[in-house]
Amino acid sequence: MIEFSRVTKEYRGRRVLRDVTFLIRRGEFVFLTGPSGAGKSTLLKLIYHAEQPTSGRIVVNGTEVASLSPGKTAELRRSMGIVFQDYKLLPDRTVAENVSFVLKFLGMPAAERKKRTYQALRLVELHHRQTALPEELSGGEQQRVALARALVNEPELLIADEPTGNLDARLATEMMKLFSAINIRGTTVLVATHDQALIKETGKRTLTLDRGMVLGEGEKVSLPPQALGKRDPAETLGHEPRWRDRTEPGG
Amino acid sequence: MKTSSATFTLLDEAFSGIWRARRMVLLSVLQIGVSIYLVGVFLLFAENLSGITETVRDESAITVYFRPSSTSVERENLEKFARDSHYVSAVRAVSSAEVRKRFITSWSSLATAATSVEPNPFPDTVELDLLPDALVSRSLPGFLTRLAAQPGVDDVQFDVEWIRRLRGVVTLIQTAGAFLGLILALGAAFTIANVVRLTILLHQDEIEILRLVGAPEFLIRGPFVGGGVVQGFLGALLALGLLALSFHGVIRYVAATKNVLLGVFVVKFLPLGPSLLLVSGGVLAGLLGGLLAVRRRHIHG
Ligand SMILES: Nc1ncnc2c1ncn2[C@@H]1O[C@H](COP(=O)(O)OP(=O)(O)OP(=O)(O)O)[C@@H](O)[C@H]1O
Ligand SMILES: [Mg+2]
Repeated sequence: MIEFSRVTKEYRGRRVLRDVTFLIRRGEFVFLTGPSGAGKSTLLKLIYHAEQPTSGRIVVNGTEVASLSPGKTAELRRSMGIVFQDYKLLPDRTVAENVSFVLKFLGMPAAERKKRTYQALRLVELHHRQTALPEELSGGEQQRVALARALVNEPELLIADEPTGNLDARLATEMMKLFSAINIRGTTVLVATHDQALIKETGKRTLTLDRGMVLGEGEKVSLPPQALGKRDPAETLGHEPRWRDRTEPGG
Repeated sequence: MKTSSATFTLLDEAFSGIWRARRMVLLSVLQIGVSIYLVGVFLLFAENLSGITETVRDESAITVYFRPSSTSVERENLEKFARDSHYVSAVRAVSSAEVRKRFITSWSSLATAATSVEPNPFPDTVELDLLPDALVSRSLPGFLTRLAAQPGVDDVQFDVEWIRRLRGVVTLIQTAGAFLGLILALGAAFTIANVVRLTILLHQDEIEILRLVGAPEFLIRGPFVGGGVVQGFLGALLALGLLALSFHGVIRYVAATKNVLLGVFVVKFLPLGPSLLLVSGGVLAGLLGGLLAVRRRHIHG
């Protein structure tokens, strides 16, 4: 689903990611962790083509992202659900509008949009705030609207950047349960988070970034991309990822 | 995506965009309205002037005056000659007695003088109504000459020249109006483009978010173009409203002051055709402005 081969990203000559190589298969649930400034958000932005890699190859859903036209990029993003670290809610639209507008792109009739929006808001426990504007919500509530928007179109791939950063422990756990449930229904999930407790709690595969490099999963990271490619056909949807119960890196 | 729902979504977004930038939109609608109003004044003026030439044409007949010595055979021959030509739609013989009667009705102060003179000083005449095409025909002067050469004819009266001149003036006003209209429409398009560009700037964050969640480009740009079109449309409606108001104002002023000259010039409002022309001009200016504003240079990809 997502394949990074020796990806390097520099911002004006400053190297943020170096030689990052990993593979996430369809149906996996993966955490991305590491200290602040390690490059987690940058890595996610590369996946949805909001940033261009300085070198290396990124393949998402079978296509190389760097060469996507704006139209194809939009198409790729429509197939994903993305929870941004800073939420990115539309300030002058209500909670319900913020969630439902992504369904408009899919040409969904209004009644269906309304139903789906309500369901998504229910999942994040915000169905009673449909008519509120983002500025009338707490940080955690805004974060949950962003979550609902990412889930509402039932994406193939869910990318979440610190989706629980502003939530209390109970809600954070609830949201992780929600992610697991979505993952079981077939959505590939990639979550960037600082929250080691949360990672422990769920016990999923974890990629750890430190100073721009992927730590842990030692031998896997050092594998050349061709070897990773060869292993891919053996994997089918629903298979337990091979290294799921390997040692927890960075823990 | 089904086109109907896509169109609906576009309009929906356009209207909410306009609502959110309503103050600026109001200003641009006002400017567009005034521009289109000016063009409308020209059109209205041209319309009424050409109305006058129409009226004149309806009333314009060739009058053939016979000599007092003319015979009834000569007069009948002339009527037949006129009827057989391709210029005439109706032929009316008006006897000298009838002409005198008309004169008395029109000039009652001279009535006694006119009735007392004997023999009747008014000549027998024949009035010829021209076919619409004949009026502008190049061969009309030749026909008039031939009429004058008929036996028994004293004089042929028909002053076509001033109608031609009036028509020239109408054409001039229409051309000037079209020219002014074009310039004002371009001006309006630029105003709209600027307002739309400003709304785009105000919505940069929103555009970025729309892009990040994969909104199709036509849904990102479409509402801004739609916003321009709606501005042009509203401007045109405003202009028509203003035009109707000032038209009725002038009519009332004419009625109050009995200013006949003005009354001759302002008698009817713009008919449907030119009104639609104004509205579509506004819409086109809006479309042009909107499209100018959403070029890649201004709305970053
Ligand atoms: N647009 C940018 N221009 C220049 N430098 C950037 C840009 N975006 C990120 N960086 C730098 O890249 C590094 C990694 O940033 P990134 O946001 O990916 O970190 P992060 O791991 O997500 O951190 P956090 O946990 O605080 O969200 C930081 O040092 C940051 O300053
Ligand atoms: Mg980050």
